[in-house]
Amino acid sequence: MNLVKKISWKSTIKNLYVLSVLILIVAIFSSVSIKFIEGPNIINIMRQSVPLLLVGTAVTLLMISGNIDLSVGGILGLTSVIFSLLVKAQLGYLVSTLLTLALGIFLGYINGFLVVRLRIVPVIATLATMSLCIGFGKLLSPGGIGLIKGLPDSIIRFARSPFLLGLPISFYVTVLIIAVLVVLQKKTVLGKYAVAIGGNKTAAELSGINVVKTVWLLYIIVGFCSALAGIARTSLLSLGDPVTGSGIELDAMIAVVLGGTSFSGGDGSVARTIIGVLIIMCLTAGMQVIGMEPYFQSLVKGLVLIVAVVTDVLVKERIED
Amino acid sequence: MQSLEKRNTAGSKISNLTFVNLAMLCVLAVIFIIASLVVPRFFNINNISNLIAQQAEIIILSIGVTFLLISGYFDMSVGGIISMAAVLSAFFCQAQGAAASDLGSGLGLSYGMAIVLTLICCMVIGALNAFLVVKLKVNSVIATLGTMALARGIAMIVAKGAQRITGLPPEFKAIGQFTIIGTINLAVVIMLVLLVAALVIENMTVFGRRIYLIGANRVAAHLSGIKVGKQISLLYVVSAFLAGVAGIVMASRFNAGNCALGTGYEFDALVVTVLGGTSIFGGFGSVTCAVVGAFILGILSTSVNMLGFQPSMQMLVKGFVIITAILALRFALDKRNV
Repeated sequence: MNLVKKISWKSTIKNLYVLSVLILIVAIFSSVSIKFIEGPNIINIMRQSVPLLLVGTAVTLLMISGNIDLSVGGILGLTSVIFSLLVKAQLGYLVSTLLTLALGIFLGYINGFLVVRLRIVPVIATLATMSLCIGFGKLLSPGGIGLIKGLPDSIIRFARSPFLLGLPISFYVTVLIIAVLVVLQKKTVLGKYAVAIGGNKTAAELSGINVVKTVWLLYIIVGFCSALAGIARTSLLSLGDPVTGSGIELDAMIAVVLGGTSFSGGDGSVARTIIGVLIIMCLTAGMQVIGMEPYFQSLVKGLVLIVAVVTDVLVKERIED
Repeated sequence: MQSLEKRNTAGSKISNLTFVNLAMLCVLAVIFIIASLVVPRFFNINNISNLIAQQAEIIILSIGVTFLLISGYFDMSVGGIISMAAVLSAFFCQAQGAAASDLGSGLGLSYGMAIVLTLICCMVIGALNAFLVVKLKVNSVIATLGTMALARGIAMIVAKGAQRITGLPPEFKAIGQFTIIGTINLAVVIMLVLLVAALVIENMTVFGRRIYLIGANRVAAHLSGIKVGKQISLLYVVSAFLAGVAGIVMASRFNAGNCALGTGYEFDALVVTVLGGTSIFGGFGSVTCAVVGAFILGILSTSVNMLGFQPSMQMLVKGFVIITAILALRFALDKRNV
């Protein structure tokens, strides 16, 4: 009972802390430029957040189980290329989307295979698949590096044109998927298994949890969400680009860590990652609005990640005292 | 009992590490021979000395990464540190106020001074890595990905997202471009010196042996009186220092402080290290593994290029090769240690 109380207390502190960081950032940027909280900018931020929201929340589940996926950017790039090619081949949006999602599931399956079946350390395995995805993506795009342009105008209907309240369909699909992920994490055995595996893999195995199957499934979920993110990015920019996802693995990790998910596994929350993603997107968009050059982004992101892990450690120490 | 002992030693007078080194050396030899036969103009003194020169930076870089990996830690920040070192080494020695643009004028220090300052800056990043990983016990992948973004961010801001190329002193390009024989340049000499030093440290010093013990069993290392934290901190600083050297060499080769230099090198350093046989679980490996790995990857990449494939094929080759290498090595070691 005491323990349960302590855990919920801990979780409340984390929730409040992450939320207050977001509010602080929004307050700072809107005090510098009121444009920041005006409708068009907010819609823009939400639209651009879709890929990172999908990837970040899926990766959260995986990281709770103590695994890591650096291939998300590669998958995003490859699926962006494939989706554009399929659309250009006039297969229709439904077929193209289904095939692309199937590819994402397949890539997640490969990652899972490398990690749980062949027992290659996640960092190396997913770096290798990242390399493979980007390689294939570039190989399939014109000239080996080129962007795939000339997509039909109607492609923006998914992630760009307003559908409801000014937001595109992709946003609502994302909300739905995140809702599913939150339920998966909080209410199903999959979420509990992930926590158990991240906390102590051997203990989880000994208590009868099928670690192989669970982690494999989590990699597949990440692959699926990354593919959907690839489709959303392609639709938003009406452009197929093999390197469009580069750097999103870092962003996703920052969002997850900002959301207070323990990087060694065993604890975390999909819902808080959403706030983490919004923090990153507001920072990026805010820097643009107040006129900072884009080359400041890397430094700011690095600092945010470092500050986030340091605070996470400090907060944890406080609570445990 | 006796049979077990016999089985472990029978027919294997060499250690697992020597076995892996020899095996990978054979793979290197085979790949080299195949490349010489298949790829036109590959077996040619110019091409081969080029190949050696091209590996200088990655080998310098992978010394530090190897040591850390042997002790069970990752350093992903090296790619960012290369960019930072490249840009800073240019910025420090660019003539002061010589050009109208911001990018043309730097601090106007001597090149020697610029190198020293750059390396100090790199070691500060290394110290930050050590602080995060050792003191705060942050997962080493995440911590060093953060410092990678930080270091690259510094490079991008100092180079304003582009490069510093004008107003550089003539000696700036010496390291990368001054050749001794053929295309063997100063960078290769630096690589050889660092390599010998690394091999001596690895095999003949207490410090070197401790790295293996920490990687094999950190708790045991701690209990036997090794100051694990201190040792790992030192390794992170050394790794950052070596990445700094690699960055300075690279900037010198291109005669420019470009903030895009070093992109993907954290991956390449890992690839060549693991390719040569260093275990990602720690406790096993050697700098010689990294050298062999670097040449295997180098020959494959050059061949892919010379055979006229698209450059994107290199990404595919890297991906396939690393997975194959890990699996093949594990298979070989499993068979051997049954």
